[in-house]
Amino acid sequence: MSVMLTKFESKSNRVKGLAFHPTQPLLAASLHNGSVQLWNYRMGVLVDRFDEHEGPVRAVAIHPSRALLVTGGDDYKIKVWDIRPQNRRCLFTLHGHLDYVRTVQFHHEMPWILSCSDDQTIRIWNSTSRNCIAILTGHSHYVMSAQFHPKEDLIVSASQDQTVRVWDISGLRKNTPNSAPGTFDTFDNFSTVKYVLEGHDRGVNFATFHPTLPLIVSAADDRQIKIWRMSETKAWEVDSCRGHFNNVSTALFHPKHELIVSCGEDKTVRVWDLTKRSAVQTFRREHDRFWVLAAHPELNLFAAGHDNGLIVFKLERERPAFAMHGDMLYYVRDKYVRSYDINTGSDIGLLSVRKFGSPYVPPRTLSYNPAEKAVVLTISSDNGLFELTALPKDAVGEVKDSSTEGKRGSGQAAIFVARNRFAVLNKTSQLIEVRDLSNSVVKSIKPPVQTNEIFYGGTASLILSSPTSVVLYDIQQQKTIAEITTPPVKYVVWSADGSLVALLSKHTITIANKNFTQHTLIHETIRIKSGAWDDSGVFVYSTLNHIKYCLAQGDHGVICTLDNPVYLTRVKGKTVHCLDRSARPRTITIDPTEYRFKLALLRNNYEEMLHIIRTSNLLGQSIIAYLQQKGFPEIALHFVQDKNTRFDLAIECGNLDVAFETAKSINRPECWERLAQQALKQGNHKIVEKAYQQTKNFDRLSFLYLATGSADKLSKMQKIADSRGDPMSRFHNALYAGDVMGRIAVLRDVGLYPLAYLTAKTNGLEEIALEILEAAGLTEADVDDVPVYGTSTLKTPPVVTPTTDLNWPSISSGESFFDRALANGNLEAGADVPYVNGHDTSGAAASAALDAWAKEEEEDLEADADGWDLDVGGEEAEPDAVAEEEAEEAVELGPGASPGVSELELWARNSPFAGDHVAAGSFESAMQLLHRQFGVVNFVELKSLFVSTYRSAHVYLSPLASLPPLQLHVRRNPSESAASRVLPVAVKTLTSVRSELSEGFRAVSGNRLAEAQVVFRASLHALLLVPIASDSEAKEWRDLVTMAREYLLGVSVELERRRVNQEEPENVRRNLELAAYFTHCQLQPAHLQIALRSAIGAFAKANNHATAAKFARRLLELNPDPKIVAQARQRIAAGDRNPRNAVEISYDEFTEFEICAASYTPIYKGSPAVRCPYTDVAYLPQFKGQLDSLVQLTEIGAPSSGLPAPRS
Amino acid sequence: MDSSELYHVKQQFILGAYQSLVDLPLPSPNSPDYTPTLIYKARAHLALDDPEAALALLPESEDVALRAVAALARYLRDLCVEIEGEDGGARARWLVRVLAGTAFARAGEVEEALESLAAGSNRENLEAVAVTVQVYLALHRPDLARKELDGAKRWAEDDLLLQLIEASVSLVTGADAYADCHAFYTEQLANPSLSAPHLLTARGVARILQGEIPAARSDLEEVQTRDAETLAALVVAAGLSGQKGSEAEAEQLWGQLSTQYPSFPMVKDVAQKAELFDELAARFEVPPLAVAAA
Repeated sequence: MSVMLTKFESKSNRVKGLAFHPTQPLLAASLHNGSVQLWNYRMGVLVDRFDEHEGPVRAVAIHPSRALLVTGGDDYKIKVWDIRPQNRRCLFTLHGHLDYVRTVQFHHEMPWILSCSDDQTIRIWNSTSRNCIAILTGHSHYVMSAQFHPKEDLIVSASQDQTVRVWDISGLRKNTPNSAPGTFDTFDNFSTVKYVLEGHDRGVNFATFHPTLPLIVSAADDRQIKIWRMSETKAWEVDSCRGHFNNVSTALFHPKHELIVSCGEDKTVRVWDLTKRSAVQTFRREHDRFWVLAAHPELNLFAAGHDNGLIVFKLERERPAFAMHGDMLYYVRDKYVRSYDINTGSDIGLLSVRKFGSPYVPPRTLSYNPAEKAVVLTISSDNGLFELTALPKDAVGEVKDSSTEGKRGSGQAAIFVARNRFAVLNKTSQLIEVRDLSNSVVKSIKPPVQTNEIFYGGTASLILSSPTSVVLYDIQQQKTIAEITTPPVKYVVWSADGSLVALLSKHTITIANKNFTQHTLIHETIRIKSGAWDDSGVFVYSTLNHIKYCLAQGDHGVICTLDNPVYLTRVKGKTVHCLDRSARPRTITIDPTEYRFKLALLRNNYEEMLHIIRTSNLLGQSIIAYLQQKGFPEIALHFVQDKNTRFDLAIECGNLDVAFETAKSINRPECWERLAQQALKQGNHKIVEKAYQQTKNFDRLSFLYLATGSADKLSKMQKIADSRGDPMSRFHNALYAGDVMGRIAVLRDVGLYPLAYLTAKTNGLEEIALEILEAAGLTEADVDDVPVYGTSTLKTPPVVTPTTDLNWPSISSGESFFDRALANGNLEAGADVPYVNGHDTSGAAASAALDAWAKEEEEDLEADADGWDLDVGGEEAEPDAVAEEEAEEAVELGPGASPGVSELELWARNSPFAGDHVAAGSFESAMQLLHRQFGVVNFVELKSLFVSTYRSAHVYLSPLASLPPLQLHVRRNPSESAASRVLPVAVKTLTSVRSELSEGFRAVSGNRLAEAQVVFRASLHALLLVPIASDSEAKEWRDLVTMAREYLLGVSVELERRRVNQEEPENVRRNLELAAYFTHCQLQPAHLQIALRSAIGAFAKANNHATAAKFARRLLELNPDPKIVAQARQRIAAGDRNPRNAVEISYDEFTEFEICAASYTPIYKGSPAVRCPYTDVAYLPQFKGQLDSLVQLTEIGAPSSGLPAPRS
Repeated sequence: MDSSELYHVKQQFILGAYQSLVDLPLPSPNSPDYTPTLIYKARAHLALDDPEAALALLPESEDVALRAVAALARYLRDLCVEIEGEDGGARARWLVRVLAGTAFARAGEVEEALESLAAGSNRENLEAVAVTVQVYLALHRPDLARKELDGAKRWAEDDLLLQLIEASVSLVTGADAYADCHAFYTEQLANPSLSAPHLLTARGVARILQGEIPAARSDLEEVQTRDAETLAALVVAAGLSGQKGSEAEAEQLWGQLSTQYPSFPMVKDVAQKAELFDELAARFEVPPLAVAAA
């Protein structure tokens, strides 16, 4: 208790009464000026005031479980208040006392309020009936305090009559007396004085029970604190604590430790050892007499009221000393050094430090040395001590005490700085001593700044904390490496890899890199308690009431709230390991989604983001706002369900498609208008058109059509205008469309004959002009004063570029990763590792760059031989290296030419498809690709395919006599000759495979099943080597694979059925099952008919008429030809007549199932299955790891990346 | 300037009409064309891979060019080279160089080949350029080949050989979608004065490269005497035709090629790849076939 840690202080009138809220950080203080304050001492704010008492209020108490406050004042009144935030008010007032009320208290379980008064009585009130239910009389002077026993039906009171009395109120509980007023007399029968404790020489100010032991402590004007013990039958004085030199106002038992805390008018708060009755600690104030002391019922927290306010204080630091090493936590609890394995949870005491420093003070810091398995502890008692002790190798048997071999010295901070060195700070002399393990000083350093704390700063470096900055200091060179200005740093937390460090101050966190060259500062309003690094580089920290995170760049946010502060030790995934206030290891499960997402966003790790999006369903408004604020509206778009927000975001990021979709569903004019504006900006006039149509904005629509030169739409607009009967619009449209007749018609219709006439006239329509005149009842003579205008030369503008059907091209905004991933709806594709082919491990991008570079070289023909010398390593070239340098130009074309990059390599480099690698002769990479993409392991089947593919991609020709022929390479696209884009001819194409398949279909129809099986299998083999050029081809490819697979499976099932039929004819059941399964392969209708008819036949033969009828019904759905229809109807009829099955088979047509391609048994939906990585055909789990029996290429259940995306 | 007879001989040689050259009667030994014709004839024999006939044709002579041809012939037979640089006309010297270069190139001695061909500094002899270009192309250095060609264009007439070189470069680089080589061979095929099966094969190859497989096949099938290159091209064309049964045809042709010309580079290469395949395939562990336990 070298320090009394003040947590909160307030200035006010004299405080006479104090009460802690049991769960919330609230403290009620009653003042001498009649006010009652309710403080939130954690936030440091005054929550409320109650000002209804007249005169000083001495008594205050808070209900242990309900939101009630009771006060008693010098106005003799006891008031009960509701302290719920929404309705704080006085509930009722209890009248009865005839003098000042000194203390009040709620009973912990009964609805009782206890009060005592200068009227020499103690009263018990029923707060439900609001009546006084007992008056305890016997004291012969003011009763200064009265307290319930925490468990038993006892009351202890203290009085100016110099006695402390213990009252038995068990009678009160048994028979609740009638509540009629004026019947007080009867009470004395069951509330009796049990003991009268005499011993104080002056009036006693306070007395209270021990929370668990049969002890009473009392404080009196005789400046003494007395401890009393009681048994069932008697009570006696145990001892006194002498030390206060004026009246003692209050004395309390410490709720957790064997301590007494007291305060008095001598302006001190004192702490006493309960067992030794000796003073442990004294806290003195200069001017303020202490009047009241209160203890928090649960926490290590006290409040004391004095002449000018109150203080809330802790008696000891609760932050346990700890150090983390890997997954081992070394910490101190109850003055024992312990180790805790966060993986196994094993928690072992290793070393006792009971004799280190003051017995009441826990060690302050612990520094662990993994090499020596030693710890350095510091303690703040005795002006700061340190102790170096080796931990026992094995924690068996008696835990030894550090005093036997620990090496000690004085110092305020001590940490290991190297394997065999530790540094000790002496704050007063401002000297840092570096000591070796035998505790002898090897070096003394004068720190460059006023240093209050030292921390580990990397090997042989220290972080020095001064009041205004932290300094990174090199011990060996004795110089400052860097300095950051911060508030005083109290704790330092290094990330696991030692690259980042968090410097924690009271209200700030500074995240710096390891040489302090970069740092960010984060402010916290609430006090920061501790922190730990997540493995991904996020700093998770705890404040008084939250666990929060911050990213290295400064973003931070709340993870969860805390009831009580904890000290974080380690963050592993979703688990936060921490020590609570009593130094017990705890874990808290958190949701790291938010910060992981932000981190991924920061690192542009879209795969991770996508993964998070897919695997977690939260991500609320805050993330959306965050994304928007950080300039990622297009990403935010993907999270938003709300239509309006979605629309806003889509407009913001210019995603017109989404905006249009959402506008359709919102369908409000303002949305359409905004959409039209945005689309107009982007030149997407089709969307503009739709938007205008939605809002019936005819004028703009017409103008748009004019602008885009859409004549036919303009004429439609004319018709619309006609039907709307809007002459202005008709006129517009006629004008836009260059329709003179239309214009004249409008003008005539609205009676503007002069204009109509002139229009006709100027357009050379004399007859019409005459008609108009006639209609107006005039003749030409009447209008001869009208000047003659020349023929109008106005024409509709010609359409230069027909933009009607094309939108203004916009740069594809680099189709976002999310657009693609979310559009495809398959995470697998998104999470796929970018393809890296066999030759070039530096990845596709690098090789593309290389190619582009190579191409450049090719073009300017300044080929540097070295540059080309990639990995061919021509031996011929080497001897000429010197010559090459000497005469570059000559040698270039001279004999020194080294081999270039062969087309084969370019092919392999340019394609992620196995087929192309095969054609390039790079069988090795081709096999690896097939293995990786489709899990192929059995390549023997593919040999002829490989060889013929390779063979078909190269021709030989010798243009010159006697020279070996040139190997020429057949390209896929003859018009493409750029090195970065050349690709080999596609030997197997989708078309060729499709024709193979149709051959297979013919074989099926022709009942040549064995042949069909071979064909389908070969097709599947061939498909492996088909290169894909576009997404639509990829889809087609997948369809072909699926189709071939279904046929192969079906044919295999049917072949198996025939084998069974032939070899085990008695096995009817299996025969039928296979026939039934065959009908569930996804075949084309023509072939499905065959399967169904075969099944019908088999089932009918086996007298399974019911199922046969079902097959017949399915057959009918396929619209077979009439003959078959007739047969099917017969079967159905037979099934209806005889709806039974003679042979029971394992076949449930109502549940979806897949057929295991090895055992030919059904795998019903929901049952586990493993799959062929290539064809995706299902197998029973027992076949995992075996060779797939269908195509006979792949390992069942092997991981695979699937078809790579085509390169564009 | 060559006489028209010699020109024709040369043209036949360049365009690969070796057989007709072989069948050509020699002019009178007194004619100035005698020796060059003799040399071309001998080289045609060599091109047809018949060094014995070439040697038989060549008399023991002091003519250094004749000796060079003889040496090449012996080399092709014996795999040994001995050329002494001796005096002779410039033309003879270049022929020696060309032949030496050819020999070196065949032996895979690229450096020596390019040296003897004076690669990069040649300003006179197109034949040497042609060999140089082909050596570069075989080295996958179309850039250097193109440079050599461009250099030659500066001093050489628009010669047949130059066009041939251009065509070969085009065959390898595929610039302009193989337009150059296709046009060249088509043009030469239309030349009434000579007919060479090699030209048909070459156009067939060019058409394969252009992706016109049916046209290529018709060219190739037209070739009367199928040499290794024609057969090889037919194999490829069949393999790429994507028609029903073409695979079997390709295999049949392949069988023919590999038995008839076991030392043809394609045969060797594919055999090597097949071996490689077996070796690589063995690296993958094949798990047991998934079979339902009975």
